[in-house]
Amino acid sequence: MPNILRQMGDQYAEYLKDESRSIGEADSISFAKTQAEALEVVRNCLAKEEKITVQGGRTGLAASAVPHGGHILNLSRLNHILGMRYDRSRDNFFVTVEPGVLLSQLRKAVSDKSFDIKLWNDKSVQALGIFRAAEWFFTPDPTETSATIGGMVSCNASGARTFLFGPTRNYIEALRVILPNGEVLDIRRGKNFAKGRKFKLKTENDEINGDLPVYNMPEVKNAAGYFVRDNMDLIDLFIGAEGSLGVITQIEVRLIRLPKAMWGVTAFFPNELSALEYVKALRNENKKCPWLHRPAAIEFFNCRALDLLRSQKANNPAFAQIQELKSQYHTAVYAEFHGNSVQEDEMPVLIGGLGDVINFVGGDEANTWVANNQRDLEKLQFFRHAMPESANMLIDQRRKIDPTLTKLGTDMSVPDQYLNAVMEMYNRDLSAANLENVIFGHIGNNHLHVNILPRNKADYLKGKELYLKWAQTNVANGGSVAAEHGIGKLKTNMLEVMYGKSGIEEMRRLKALFDPNGLINSGNMFIASKEVK
Amino acid sequence: MIKIIVCTKQVPATNEVKMDPVTNTIIREGVEAICNPFDTYAVEEALRIKERLGAQITAVSMGIPSVAAMLKEVVALGVDEAVLLTDRSFAGADTLATAYTLAKGIGKIGEFDLIICGKQATDGDTAQVGPSLAETLGIPHLTDVGEIKDLNGKKIICRRMTDDGYDEIEMDLPCLITVTKEINTPRLPSILGIKNASNQKIGKLGSDICEENDTHIGLSGSPTQVVKTFIPTSAVECQFLSLNALADKLRELSNMEEEGN
Repeated sequence: MPNILRQMGDQYAEYLKDESRSIGEADSISFAKTQAEALEVVRNCLAKEEKITVQGGRTGLAASAVPHGGHILNLSRLNHILGMRYDRSRDNFFVTVEPGVLLSQLRKAVSDKSFDIKLWNDKSVQALGIFRAAEWFFTPDPTETSATIGGMVSCNASGARTFLFGPTRNYIEALRVILPNGEVLDIRRGKNFAKGRKFKLKTENDEINGDLPVYNMPEVKNAAGYFVRDNMDLIDLFIGAEGSLGVITQIEVRLIRLPKAMWGVTAFFPNELSALEYVKALRNENKKCPWLHRPAAIEFFNCRALDLLRSQKANNPAFAQIQELKSQYHTAVYAEFHGNSVQEDEMPVLIGGLGDVINFVGGDEANTWVANNQRDLEKLQFFRHAMPESANMLIDQRRKIDPTLTKLGTDMSVPDQYLNAVMEMYNRDLSAANLENVIFGHIGNNHLHVNILPRNKADYLKGKELYLKWAQTNVANGGSVAAEHGIGKLKTNMLEVMYGKSGIEEMRRLKALFDPNGLINSGNMFIASKEVK
Repeated sequence: MIKIIVCTKQVPATNEVKMDPVTNTIIREGVEAICNPFDTYAVEEALRIKERLGAQITAVSMGIPSVAAMLKEVVALGVDEAVLLTDRSFAGADTLATAYTLAKGIGKIGEFDLIICGKQATDGDTAQVGPSLAETLGIPHLTDVGEIKDLNGKKIICRRMTDDGYDEIEMDLPCLITVTKEINTPRLPSILGIKNASNQKIGKLGSDICEENDTHIGLSGSPTQVVKTFIPTSAVECQFLSLNALADKLRELSNMEEEGN
């Protein structure tokens, strides 16, 4: 038995839950510090047919890292940055990390250009010399920077900047995965492709082959179910698989050049409709005021979200540094713009034009906050991050009275043409059901987080009903039930709304090809065909 | 109308100043330059006074010509005008020479009722220029102000935190205060403000604010000698002790104390 295995006890109670606030159960836990230790633990569990739940930063909102029996393999201490290389033809840097590296840790190392190079080979050390001559950028930016890179890969995390740069998937170049057969697979982008929907993967001593699910993914921001496409790159199968196909122990991420300038603008509108017009104008959908500079991010705060922030600012010193929100500010939209021109006045000219757009759609360029340096940008980002934080704090207060209450946070996206319709539906239904709520999030992708804040059990049940109804409507309109948080263990019924019983069955079959005994991260996305204790 | 002068300084946009280990100087390359964060509270307080009572605000800074861009950002916030003191002969100034030059510049700008400074700059961290400027101008000053309780054309009442509680102090105008970040929450500029600022000229004053051959400015006016700058190293070591070792250690320490007595 590996000597890092620990029986569960009170001291590990924290590891039975994640940010979703649901609580699981487990028999044992280990904290692997090396890839070899992780492999030993996995093989040991496989031999005993013991279920494994893999954990990273436990920042997930869908309970993927919450164990349902068996062993917890916590990889938060498997956190070395192992090396880097430069690809001249693509002008990209590639950094190899272990899954427990935190997003904040990677960001700091990249921006400080400071790495622990003890484990690095000569080539990596040489590449660091080139790296230091310029500024580089890992674009995925989930709100919670204590997320691990492994977790981000497993749920194909997104953030505000996904609007311009796409999700984590686009920045993953290679993976090392311990497969449920105990073998180690090194898979690199551009090397292994499916033929239509058939695939074949050679492992050390074996081969896994079979059919991919045949469902079509919606053409929207999406992190629900397996990523499948005709002739797909097979590395994409493991990204966003919520750990169900194996244990990721090494990741190569791609960095691009840091833009020369980053400006953020929070604009306040007198009503929601003009804010929505602004969003569409920023996507260049308004012929009367064309806008060609695609924003890196477009984020939304509805009137109740701003009210919640107002009360947080007034009552909680942690939010005191939020700038004063004038009473006439009804709805807010944050947009971020990146510039690469050598011309110094590129951004001021751009922002001037943005003011004209804001005035045109019914806002006022005087009612804006502009950040033109990193320090001020962080203030606007803090404002954005304060939003989910405030909603969670409110619910935590209510949970002291009724511990069964949880926040109901939606994560659905719809195609561009349904933006107004989906907002109308949310507002109408919430007001008819008399549910307390805030709406905020990634409106550029029509991906809003409706946070229903139940005051009691009846509210909670009404909210759940609405949630399901919205999922059905949004899916019918070509949307996704989980655009970035994944399905985990909490939204399995939603996945069925999206892909039907047959789609779930196809996913189950795919999992069984890799993991016939349903041992690794089972219960995520769907109940595996064969669940063993 | 109350006339307010706000002093601002451009600093590297980082609170983790990196030192060159060989030359012991601050590495400024590749670091964005911003308005000293404490000065943004000074600007904000001036703007709030203007909104409350009406005021004419002039921002002043001493620095290289490119600091004009920072002053434009200050104008974008709603400051009425900005003046940059810039001249080769001002270069190399320590806090004394800086305060002297600012005093000369303010003398040219004209009459004022109140000067507001940030409590210190985040690069040098001396907190000397504000008080030194007041002394040079011969006006009263108060440092670390956390709240302006009252202000009229004749006097100001300020509150500041001390180790024992709060001081509430009344001063006659004209005077100078330095402010802490407890005093307010600085605003960011609006697009309209940025547009307005882009059309506004930043005033420039050069060495003619001083007498010819004035030896109080720049390097010649700077008696401060930097003997050595270094990053203090933390010498605290953490030791893990077994129970027995801990008992031994405690015995040893109690013996030492007895011997000491």
